[in-house]
Amino acid sequence: MTVGLSFSQLSEEEKMQHFLDRINAGEKIEPDDWMPDDYRMQLIRLISMHGISEIMGALPEKEWVPKAPSLHRKLAIMAKVQDEMGHGQLLLRVAEDLMAPLGKTRHDIMEDLFSGKLKFHNVFHMDAPTWGDAGIIAWLVDGAAIISQSMMLDSSYGPYARALKRICAEEVFHAQHGESIILAMAEGTPEQRQMLQDALNRWWESLIMFFGPKSAKETGNSNADKNIMYKIRTKTNEDLRQEFFTKYIPRIWSLGLTIPDETIHFDEETQMWIYKDADWSNFKQIVSGNGPQSQNRLDLRRRSYKNNEWVREALAAKKAI
Amino acid sequence: MNEPKNEFYNVYEVFSKKTDKSPFQHSFSLLAPNADMALIMAKENFFRREQVADIWVVKRENIRGLNQDEKEMLKRLDKEYRETKGYGYLKKKWRDYNQEQFTEQHILGGRGDNK
Repeated sequence: MTVGLSFSQLSEEEKMQHFLDRINAGEKIEPDDWMPDDYRMQLIRLISMHGISEIMGALPEKEWVPKAPSLHRKLAIMAKVQDEMGHGQLLLRVAEDLMAPLGKTRHDIMEDLFSGKLKFHNVFHMDAPTWGDAGIIAWLVDGAAIISQSMMLDSSYGPYARALKRICAEEVFHAQHGESIILAMAEGTPEQRQMLQDALNRWWESLIMFFGPKSAKETGNSNADKNIMYKIRTKTNEDLRQEFFTKYIPRIWSLGLTIPDETIHFDEETQMWIYKDADWSNFKQIVSGNGPQSQNRLDLRRRSYKNNEWVREALAAKKAI
Repeated sequence: MNEPKNEFYNVYEVFSKKTDKSPFQHSFSLLAPNADMALIMAKENFFRREQVADIWVVKRENIRGLNQDEKEMLKRLDKEYRETKGYGYLKKKWRDYNQEQFTEQHILGGRGDNK
């Protein structure tokens, strides 16, 4: 044990080594702890994107609140929309604390969203034209999200891990809410079954895209590898996608639904699912704000941010008294 | 731009207790313009489902926590002499005298039940 030197007297290299020793020992990094700039930037990128995706992700489901087929369904989907907004609040708080040393606040996050600089998940750029889509979103999109979020429950960044713990607890309700919708449709009339099948067909490629490309070569990006080194995450995009297939494909088939990919099958030899990969150039287009609903949903956020400006002003004025 | 960028929101830390008997625990933090709004937001954000008996909101700037130097210092403290595990060697010593070491229960029980 070295006695004498306090932490703040260490050189940058020694601090870096101390930081790596801490995360390798399973310690959690807290907002005021020393961290390399690169780690901070990776976290900001990941968590602000995750947070804003929760908020934008509530919008396709929000569209179904007034049109839900019964009062019970309306209450349940409303509760889910509320949860998603709450998750966004938690995550943005985590991102803001990381951004504080850079002089940035929530206002900057919103501006970056409006200008297109801050991206959100590909799935939330898509249309949700039927109640079947509401079911598929809650069942499979949330199912995919649960797989990637629960992987990070032990993330090296303490506040993110704690936020995810709260989020995952509520995701269990979301998954069951989704199962309840799709099972009712799967057991319904031929029209309802068809509506469910059509929704699955619409969402399949988006679900493949959800986990991101297999490697840097598809989109020229290697954030996933860095995040594994920093113990922010533990599995690759492809690990997660395979996990998703193993968890959900047997269930999809058990309901007599067809996956819109004739090539998909489990290869016993490699113990991997073989499937048709997504069109990653289309993915880039979608997340850059050119998906079917990208601009409509961004406009909705822009309008509500602008329309509520007077509330923020009124409350701020009260503070000055 | 009339958005009061850095003055409108304050960070509040939210503490809550699940039942009357449980201690307060840190729940999370949130942004609010004042304590009343912070309480409303806390209920809205964290206690839609969770059982809660009481909530505190505290402005973060009023909390003095440990900095990293101070936290690192804690790891170096040897406090075994304050704990029973620092006295584990006594068991073997007493055995040399054909005596069992008193357990915590024996000690607190006053009269050692030394069979």
